[in-house]
Amino acid sequence: MASMVANGNPDGPSLVLKGVDPETCMIVFKNHWSQVVKILEKHDPLRGTSTLPSLSVLNLSGGPRFGPVPGDEASAVQNYVEHMLFLLMEEESGQAGAMGPILEFVVMENVMERLFVWSLRREFTDDMKLEQLKMYEMLAGQARQPLLHHKPILRPLIMLLSSCSGTAAPQVEAELVLLLNQLCCVLAKDPSILELFFHTSEDQGATNFLIFSLLIPFIHREGTVGQQARDALLLIMSLSAENERVAKHIAENTYFCPVLATGLSGLYSSLPTKLDFPSADWHCLHKEDWLRVPSLVQFLNSLEFCNAVIQVAHPDIRDQLVSYIYKGFLVPVLAPALHKLTLEEVMTTTAYLDLFLRTVSEPTLLQTFLSFILLHRHENVHILDTLVSRINTPFQLGTVSLALFRTLIGLYCEDVMLQLILRYLIPCNHMMLSQRRVVGERDCYSVSAAKILALTPSCCSPDHSPPPLRQLDSILFSKGAETPNNTSATEERESFVEDDDGSGNSCTIGSEIYLDVSYLHYLYDARLSISSCIKACQVWSAPYDGEDPPPEKYQPGVLEEPGLKSWQTQMAFKRVPHPLAPRPCPPPRTEPPSITQQELEWDDSYDACPVQTGQAPVEPKRPQPPPAEPPKHIQEMRKTAIMFVQGSYIEENEFQDDVMVYDLVAKKDTRDIESVRLKSSGSEPGSAEVPLKNGLSLTLPTSVMADKNTSDTKAKGQTDCNSHLQNTTAAEPGDELLAQYEELIRTLDTKAGGKQFRPDGEFKKPVTPAEEDEDEEEEEMDFTSFSAETPEPEKLQSPFGPKFGSGSVGRKTSAPFTGPFVSVLLSRLENMQSNTLQVNLLLTGILAQLAAYPQPLLRSFLLNTNLVFQPTVRSLYQVLATVKNQIEEQSATRTDFPELITAAQHWLLARETSLTAADDSRSSAHGEAARMRKSSPPPKPKAISLERTEVFATVLFTEFLKELAAIAQEHSILSYIPMEE
Amino acid sequence: LHPFIQQSVTSTCTGRIEPEEQSGHSEQRASPARLPFGKKQLPPIPKNAAPITKPASTGTLAPSANGTHASYGPFYLEYSLLAEFTLVIKQKLPGIYVQPSYKSALMWFGVIFIRHGLYQDGVFKFTVYIPDNYPDGECPKLVFDIPVFHPLVDPVSGELDVRRAFTKWRRNHNHIWQVLMYARTIFYKINTTEPLNPEAAVLYEKDVQLFKSKVVDSVKLCNSHLFDQPKMDDPYAISFSPWNPAVHEEAKERMFTYKRRPDDHHKGTQVSGLSWVKPGSMQPFSKDDSPPQS
Repeated sequence: MASMVANGNPDGPSLVLKGVDPETCMIVFKNHWSQVVKILEKHDPLRGTSTLPSLSVLNLSGGPRFGPVPGDEASAVQNYVEHMLFLLMEEESGQAGAMGPILEFVVMENVMERLFVWSLRREFTDDMKLEQLKMYEMLAGQARQPLLHHKPILRPLIMLLSSCSGTAAPQVEAELVLLLNQLCCVLAKDPSILELFFHTSEDQGATNFLIFSLLIPFIHREGTVGQQARDALLLIMSLSAENERVAKHIAENTYFCPVLATGLSGLYSSLPTKLDFPSADWHCLHKEDWLRVPSLVQFLNSLEFCNAVIQVAHPDIRDQLVSYIYKGFLVPVLAPALHKLTLEEVMTTTAYLDLFLRTVSEPTLLQTFLSFILLHRHENVHILDTLVSRINTPFQLGTVSLALFRTLIGLYCEDVMLQLILRYLIPCNHMMLSQRRVVGERDCYSVSAAKILALTPSCCSPDHSPPPLRQLDSILFSKGAETPNNTSATEERESFVEDDDGSGNSCTIGSEIYLDVSYLHYLYDARLSISSCIKACQVWSAPYDGEDPPPEKYQPGVLEEPGLKSWQTQMAFKRVPHPLAPRPCPPPRTEPPSITQQELEWDDSYDACPVQTGQAPVEPKRPQPPPAEPPKHIQEMRKTAIMFVQGSYIEENEFQDDVMVYDLVAKKDTRDIESVRLKSSGSEPGSAEVPLKNGLSLTLPTSVMADKNTSDTKAKGQTDCNSHLQNTTAAEPGDELLAQYEELIRTLDTKAGGKQFRPDGEFKKPVTPAEEDEDEEEEEMDFTSFSAETPEPEKLQSPFGPKFGSGSVGRKTSAPFTGPFVSVLLSRLENMQSNTLQVNLLLTGILAQLAAYPQPLLRSFLLNTNLVFQPTVRSLYQVLATVKNQIEEQSATRTDFPELITAAQHWLLARETSLTAADDSRSSAHGEAARMRKSSPPPKPKAISLERTEVFATVLFTEFLKELAAIAQEHSILSYIPMEE
Repeated sequence: LHPFIQQSVTSTCTGRIEPEEQSGHSEQRASPARLPFGKKQLPPIPKNAAPITKPASTGTLAPSANGTHASYGPFYLEYSLLAEFTLVIKQKLPGIYVQPSYKSALMWFGVIFIRHGLYQDGVFKFTVYIPDNYPDGECPKLVFDIPVFHPLVDPVSGELDVRRAFTKWRRNHNHIWQVLMYARTIFYKINTTEPLNPEAAVLYEKDVQLFKSKVVDSVKLCNSHLFDQPKMDDPYAISFSPWNPAVHEEAKERMFTYKRRPDDHHKGTQVSGLSWVKPGSMQPFSKDDSPPQS
C-alpha cells in the first residue's frame, strides 16, 4: 500500500496532475474511494451498520480478523489509495484557508481512520507499519494545505504511532523517527497544532504528547536515527521555552530528563576504562583521539545534546535536567570513576573530565560540572582537592591533571579561581602587612620585567650566543630618520638632529642593538591574552585588588567552607569508610546546652575532640567550624610522596594505589621530621605518634608533644614549634632544610586545621590507632581538664606578631599559605629540570595563563618582584631564581651544554614550525609562545634526545622568562587604560 | 604595537573647535605603512639601562651581571613611556593634547588651548623632549614652537622653565602629565621670580597694561602661525588647517560618536567570563540563580 508514494516518486503523478482542474480530481478521488469502500465493507465484520467501530475498543495488537483478505483485493485497495493520497497531497487549500474539497471529503468520510482500521484488520506486519508511516510522512511533509489540524487525520496518525511504540524492527524505527522528526518540524512551524496533539492524545488516555514520548527511547541512539530523534526533541525543547504547557508536561509527566541524564551514565559505563595512550607525552584527548573511539563519540553526542537542550529548553526542564545530571551522572558515576584504583583508570577519567569540560559550552551545564568539581565531596574530600593533589603525581597522571587545570583556568570562571587561588590571597596574609598598599601599584618602569629577565641563564643570554633560526632576525633599534621604504636602513646610522628650534634638543643619537625578536611576539601574545582576560572578568563580582573583598573580613577559615549546604552534605559523608574508623564518643559533659547539633556531630567523628562553643566569647568572631578534612592534607601528603618516590625508583604500575602513596608519605614524613628533630635538638627525649587520617602514623618532634601535657594553648604550641624550627633553620640554612621546614610547617598546620586543632586552642592528645580504645576514658578526662583551662584570648597572640596569624582573629595561627594549587604548581616548576618537556610546557602555560589575569591580588603575587612576602610564602620569582641557579650549576659543569642548548632550540623551533603548519585549522593561538605550547606528537628529535630534560628545560625556562616579563610589561599598560563608558 | 595611542588622542579631542589632527585620520593614509614589528623606532639604548631595582627583599639573587637585561632596555623604556602616556590620557588635562612622534617615543608633540585669563584664546603648540635615560635622568623639556611672551618662557628658544617645578625628577613620583599640567598653570598664575624672560617679568610687575597688550600681541602672533606646516617633519606632528567641511565634517562626526570598545583591537578573541559568586559572599555558586544541587 502506498508504496509508490512512499518511494518518494512524486514526479509522475504530479506532472500528470498539473493543469488538471480540481473538480476532475475530486471526481477521481471519490471514484477511487467508492471502490475502496466496497472492498472494505466486504470484509467489515460489522457490515451493515453505518457507524464506525470505536477505535479505542479495537485491540491493536491482534485485531479481529474475519478470514484472509484476498491478494487481488488488497492490491486493488493499495492502488486506489496511492492515487488518492497523491490527489490529497497536491490539493491546494481553498479560499481564505478553507479546506480543499478533497480534504473536506477525507474529513467527512473519515477516510484515513477507515484505512487504518482496514490495515489493522489484515495482518498488521512491520511492512504495513512501514508503509503507513511513510504515507503519513509524505502527507506531513509535502501536503500543500495543513492536514494535521483535522482530527480525522490526526487520530489515526496517533493510533499508528502508538501501535509502533516498542517496536523492534530497525527499518520501522528509522521510519518512525523520520516521521516524528517531520511532525516536529511541522509543530515548530505551526505551534497551534500542539494543542491538538495534546487533546488527541488525551483521548487515548495513557500517554500525553505521544510524539515526545516516542522519541525519548532514541535519545542516546547512535547514527542517523539518534541524530534525527535528538534534532526532533530539540525542536520540541525550543517549543517548550515558549509553551508553558509543554514544559510542564515534559518536566512533570515524562522521564525525559532522567532518561537523558542516566543515559549519560549508561554511555559512560561503556567507555573504555583505560585508553591506549599514544605516547608518554600524551596529556589530553584531542579530536583526532576521540574520533577513534566510537563509544566516546556517542557519549559526546549525548553530552552535546544535553548542552543543546539546556540552551533552548524552558527553565523548568533545564533545571531538572541539570539536577539529574548532577545527581544521576556526576555524583554516582563520575566521582567514583575519578577515584578508581589504578593510575591508568584515574588518568583516563581525568582526561574524560577535561574533554567534557571542553565540550560543554552552555553556562548552566558548565556550572553543574564546575560545582561538582569545586564543591562535591567524595569520601569526604573535595573533588577539587583530589585533582589538585594529582598534579604532583609522578608519571602521566600528573600531566593529564595539569591539562585539566589548564582547561579550568581557561574558563575565566570566578568561582574556579576563587577556590583554587584567590581565597588564599584575599586575606593578604601572604605578604607583609605594610605591603598591602603595594598590591594595586603599577609597575611604571618595567622593574619586575627587568628582574624576571635578569634570571636568564648565562648560557642562554642572547648577548652570548644568538639564538638560532628565526630568532636571528633581530630588531634594530635605530635612531635614524629612516624612511620605512628604505628597507636596508637597518644597517645605517643616521643621526636625527633637530636643527630648527636651535635649542639643541636632540633626543636621538645613532645607536643600535640587536634584540631577540621573539620578545615582540611575546609582548603581542601577552597583550592579547591580558585583554581577553580583562574583558572576560568584567562579569566577576569583585576586583580582588586587596581592598574589595576586604582582607579583614575574609581571614583564613572563613572561606574554607563553601556554605552550610555542602556542610550538610559533608555531614552525610562523614561515616564513609575511613581507615581510622570514627568511634562513638560519649557526649561531652562540659558542653554548654547552646551547642548545636551539627557541632555535636562534628565532635563525634573526631576522636572526642570537643568543640568549645561554650567559650565562644573568648573569640572575637566565631567562624564556621574547620573543614572536616582540610584540602591541603591529601595534597600535601602526595606531594611529599612524590619527593620520596623520586629518590627511590618505583615501577609505574606498582604505583597503583593511593594507599601506597600514603604509606610513602608517612615514611617520608617520619624521616623528615626525625632529621629535623635530630638537627634541631638532640635534647628532646623522644617522639610521639600522631594518627593520620589514613590510619598511618606520623612521628612528630616531641617539642610539639610536650605541649600536650601543659595547659598551654594549641596556638602557643604551634608557635613554639614554628619558632623552634625557625631557629633550626637559622642555625643551618640550607635549601633542603628550608624546604623540609616549610613542608613540616604545612603538614602541622594541615593536621591542626583538620583534626586536633580547635579554634579556641585546646590541644588533643595524639594517640596511635592501637591505643585509641584503651585511651578513650583518659582522653575524655584530658578533654575536661583542658577545657577548664581554656586560655585567655591574649595568650593567642603570637610572639611573632604579624608573621604568624596576623589578623587571623585568633582562630588559626597558621603559617601563611597561598593554597595547595599554587604550591603544587611551584613545587613542580622547581623541578623543571627533571620534568618532561610536556610537563614543562603545561606548567609554564598554566602559570602564564594565571599571570594574565588582571586581578591585582593575583597579578602582584605572581609578577610583582618587589612585593615582600611572608617568609614562609614562596613566590614564583623565588622558584624561578632557584631554577636559574640549578641551570647555572648544570651548565658550569658541562662543557657541551651550549651545543646541547642550540640543538634543543633548533628542535623546538622545528617542532613549532611543524605544529604551526599542521595547526591552522584549530589554532586559536596567535603567536609563537602559544604555538610552542601546542601539543601533539613532536617530530623525531634530531641531534638531541628528549631524555635530556635539563637541556629542554633550560631553553623553555628562558622562553618562559620572556613570556612572563612580556606579561608584566603589558599589565603595566593595559590594566590602566581608562575605559570609556 | 599600540594602536590605542592614536585612538585615545582622537577620542580626547572633544572640545570646541579643536585642531584638525593630521595624525588622527589623514595621517593613516599619509604615514607610511608600518610593519607590525621591527620598524618601531626607539631611542638609543641608554648606556646604563639596567633598571635600578630595590634590593631584593628575599635576598635570593642579585640580577645577573651578564648584562642580559640590558638588551631589553629599549623595551623597558618604551613601556615606561607608554605608561606615562596612559597616565596623561587618564588625567584628562583640560585643553591639552599630546601625541608621541613617529620617530621617537621620547619626543611628544602637543598643543595647549588657553580658555580664559590673560592668555585667553591662545593656542600654543609645543614639543616635549624626554631624556633617554628616563625615568632616571633630568626632567623632560617643554619647548613652545613660538616663544610665548611669558616670564617663564625663554624668548629665544621658547623653552619653558620646567626645572623650577621639578628640581629633581623622581621616578614614581614625577610624571609627564605633571609637566603638561604645569605648562597650563603658568598661563593662569603668573610667576615672575627668576624669569627666563626678564622683560615680561618686569612688565608684569610694573606695567600690567603693557604686559597685557604684549600678551595679546603674542597670542595673535601664535595664532596667526597656527596653520603653518609643523616645525618637525614627522607624520605624527600636530598640524592645523582651516575648516574644510569636505575634510573635517566626517572626522568631527567620528570624533563625537566614537566610543572605544574594549574588544576593538582584537576581534575573534570572543571570550566571556563566568561567575556565580554572589557579590560580597566570596563563596562559589552563591548566586541565587544557582540551581539547587544536593
